[in-house]
Amino acid sequence: MDKTTNLQIDFAGLTLSGPVMTASGTCGYADELSEFMDMSNLGALITKSISIEPRPGNPTPRIVETNGGMLNAIGLANMGLERFLEEKIPVLEQLDTKILVNLAGKSIDEYVAVADRLAREEAIDGFELNISCPNVKKGGITFGTDPVLIGEITAAVKAVCQNKPLMVKLTPTVTDISVTAQAAVDAGADALSLINTFTAMVIDVEKRKPVLANRTGGLSGPAVKPIAVYLVNKVYNEVAKDAGIPILGMGGIQTVTDALEFIIAGATTVAVGTSTFVYPDTAEKITLGLAEYCKNKGISDLRELIGSLR
Amino acid sequence: MHNEATQKGVFQAEVLSNQQIRRCYYRLNMKFDARGSRLFQNVLPGQFLEMDLSAISLPDETQIPENLKDKASRQVMLRRPFSFSDVIITPTADGPCVKVEILYCVLGPATVRMMSLKKGDTINILGPLGNGFSIPDHLTHALLIAGGMGSPPILHLASHLKHHNPNVEVVSFIGARNIEDLPFTVRIGNFKGLVLEEFELIRVPSHIATDDGSAGFDGFVTDCMRHWLEDNKIDPKASAVFACGPEPMLAGTAKLAKDYDMPCQVSMERMMACGIGLCQSCAVETKKDDNHTEYQLCCKNGPVFDAEKVNFHAE
Repeated sequence: MDKTTNLQIDFAGLTLSGPVMTASGTCGYADELSEFMDMSNLGALITKSISIEPRPGNPTPRIVETNGGMLNAIGLANMGLERFLEEKIPVLEQLDTKILVNLAGKSIDEYVAVADRLAREEAIDGFELNISCPNVKKGGITFGTDPVLIGEITAAVKAVCQNKPLMVKLTPTVTDISVTAQAAVDAGADALSLINTFTAMVIDVEKRKPVLANRTGGLSGPAVKPIAVYLVNKVYNEVAKDAGIPILGMGGIQTVTDALEFIIAGATTVAVGTSTFVYPDTAEKITLGLAEYCKNKGISDLRELIGSLR
Repeated sequence: MHNEATQKGVFQAEVLSNQQIRRCYYRLNMKFDARGSRLFQNVLPGQFLEMDLSAISLPDETQIPENLKDKASRQVMLRRPFSFSDVIITPTADGPCVKVEILYCVLGPATVRMMSLKKGDTINILGPLGNGFSIPDHLTHALLIAGGMGSPPILHLASHLKHHNPNVEVVSFIGARNIEDLPFTVRIGNFKGLVLEEFELIRVPSHIATDDGSAGFDGFVTDCMRHWLEDNKIDPKASAVFACGPEPMLAGTAKLAKDYDMPCQVSMERMMACGIGLCQSCAVETKKDDNHTEYQLCCKNGPVFDAEKVNFHAE
């Protein structure tokens, strides 16, 4: 990486090598991407959601492509805490990047149990609270749309994170995202990540049935990007800026320019999700592209751009 | 199936030819760049690749099949998975040179775009992906069975066996709805009946079955194979069945193989986004033990599975 530009960034107390992460659910558990990129170019990896018990996930079809995006209804399929500790922690220890674990659960107690256990692992640098998954019947988005519940769950999980940062991932499927953002911040969130996917549906016209077995799924990809940029800017202006809480911005990021839009809108860091499915090294390419952009523009520190929207 | 996935990567391929076989079936030949050739030098039948078709333009409107004119204009973002019908590896002074043949059926916005590919075009490829068929030791009879667009990897497996396991007797059973849906060249055989030229060329007997009886056996390909098994006594302990096709056909094949006490490997198909185990969309329900099932990933744990392990969902 070009070292003339300082891409190193402080994010909720963590020093990241760069501002680009890979979003939860799009980069596996640990080293799935390491044969496609130099992991040290990644600011952080956010793992697949981990719940206390293993979850099989939803029946198939779990995905369907749409114009400029896709719907997924994986259903938080994951190996569960015990196998994650046994099989993935040793792999994560070897990776030259920060590791944030995405926490999932059906009750506040379940979220707390996973965070409490993983906070004791040196390989884990922080957490992302998933209260915005649209594809499960219990937990997920039911927490993320209610400011009171957001406060309760954020405070309860924060209490067991020890000195590790807790980031709360927000759903865009609310009337006013600043209300949910504020609830998370008031309860002690160290950072906010937004956006999770939009609940959506694709219909098979011949069968007159939804394409996905789960009927609905979460829309992601370039199609959602302008909405995500708007929501990041709104949360930055109305909540995060004054509270001094950093934002991880995501939603359809495919290019360096996309990442810059989010940063200018107010994001301190950005995450690549759906695009990784097509080009597994997208996050690294964007990191290198940001360094090149700053060099060409004479920007010595990327932080100058955060929230610089005129 | 048991071979651990080899190294995979992203690289460029050059189109050598793109020919229509019949109606909506096409044959695409590509030459891989140096990196792709290195990655594919030990590729196995049943493995697959993913192509980025997002930047390929639509063919002239007059060429677009009538039933696809409406949905052809939908955008393509995700890569599309394809298995291979043939892989030719030529050693050169600069390392291996790999040429791959893909058979495809035009049935959606991505494959409609593939119609416009021509000699000299480049395509971005991710691969090789998944685990291929594994050849058991002491095999004397390999029974290959395919349905519709499941046949390309079966042709690849046939030539692979002929080349690497010359003592194994290979017999193929290829089924389709009708003669028009056989993605091969049908001709009169040397003795009697119709055969598939692509299999004849590698000296593998091909038994055709069509649902409407328009070519070969009148009925399902699994029934065609059952008749053959009734007429030909083979040692089940030294035989194996290799299958690829629609899920109901795979379920039927698994049952047939079990009736004859033969091991059976099936190549499964699922909608997938990434092909490398990231998105978890391509779940296949498998038997964990007598009372439990678990999802495995078609892209990473498969696409080839031991038939006994799969819980088939025949719709």
